[in-house]
Amino acid sequence: CSYGQTGCHVIPLADLFDRVIQHSSRIHGISSDLHSEYEQYFVPNKNHIGRIHHNCHTSTIQTPNGKQKAQKLAREELTEVILKLLVAWRDPLWRFHQNMVHQEDFNHFSSNKSLEMSNMVLDLRKGVEKVADRLQYLGEISNSLSGRFSPDALVPLTDSSGEPRAMSDHDLLYCFRRDSDKVQNYLKILKCRIVPENGC
Amino acid sequence: ILPMVAQGARHTPPGKPNVTICRSPEKETFTCRWETGYDGGLPTTYSFFYRKENSETLYECPDYKSSGNNSCFFNKDHTSVWVNYNITVVATNALGSNSSDPFVVDVAYIVEPHTPENLTVVVLKKKDVPFLRVSWKPPRNTDTRLGWITLIYEIRVKLNDTPKWEVHQAQQQKIFNIFSLHSGGYYMVQVRCKPDHGFWSEWSPTSYAKVPDYIHQKWSIWVL
Repeated sequence: CSYGQTGCHVIPLADLFDRVIQHSSRIHGISSDLHSEYEQYFVPNKNHIGRIHHNCHTSTIQTPNGKQKAQKLAREELTEVILKLLVAWRDPLWRFHQNMVHQEDFNHFSSNKSLEMSNMVLDLRKGVEKVADRLQYLGEISNSLSGRFSPDALVPLTDSSGEPRAMSDHDLLYCFRRDSDKVQNYLKILKCRIVPENGC
Repeated sequence: ILPMVAQGARHTPPGKPNVTICRSPEKETFTCRWETGYDGGLPTTYSFFYRKENSETLYECPDYKSSGNNSCFFNKDHTSVWVNYNITVVATNALGSNSSDPFVVDVAYIVEPHTPENLTVVVLKKKDVPFLRVSWKPPRNTDTRLGWITLIYEIRVKLNDTPKWEVHQAQQQKIFNIFSLHSGGYYMVQVRCKPDHGFWSEWSPTSYAKVPDYIHQKWSIWVL
């Protein structure tokens, strides 16, 4: 059922946005839960609170970290940032889930959550791609977007010898919680820019 | 260091200061506060330093004044979200100095908005039965229209002479109807707001509404 077709029910754009925003909100919720569960299990002393550096593999992706900066980004750029972040998390989250399955002290519940989180990110990416398709169809964003966000486009973090640098599980949860919050926030900004009459 | 004794007073280096709280009202600026330790009986100055995530540069507080005593205010230019700030306060007097434990904060998780504004309660009628229509506006300084911050609301209502508040979740709505009122009841209404992950604002000042006397109403059940 393509957009132009007659007799074809098309979900309103605002609803599409609401769906991906709700989905991203759930993902952030799960990542927050997992992060605090992880800290309870593996980082019982609170010394880590003083830690400030986290090796986020997505730190090479330029993301606006303030309202003004986010406002300055074009719709295409904002969409691209969202998709880049989601693509970048596909493999690390899957590997994290594999690790969790073999972690006996981390409970079963958390392991299921890590799988759920990994799958939800795949779904969210598909959802955002649908929104982006629709935006292109409606002429809300330019067509230059397509093909610019393959996972290969992401430069992996490397150590001094050029080997890919492994993120610790703790860093991974920390970084993903942050990135999922960014995704949610950027989606809301995009929505309010394109369909401002719906709850903005 | 030996304590310096002057006119019977015992002088020491300052006690350890303690960074107590950082809060942002709108995810665009933030303020951190600290408690002082013992000043050692001497004039003591406090310096606030911070490092931003993945940077070695040490900065001093950009504004000690705007948020009052023992505080540091970060305006829009100095505020980044999703970036950790590692904060230390150093107390110094003539005999030495003492540093607080480091305090790490990410502005994304410390938002506590101001209270909602323009709370209005009017008594309307549906089929001759009165109900309250409560409406309000988001705090002036939060930019909810841009999508930068999303607020959810909670309202609470009680009869003037009863102790217990009834709380209602309004989610993102800025208008809320309350049915099943006591005939002739004098109602108090307040509202507060919260971002997705952050802290509840204070309750707003109370608005009042007098429900007119009406028939067929024995007891009240709260219905959305």
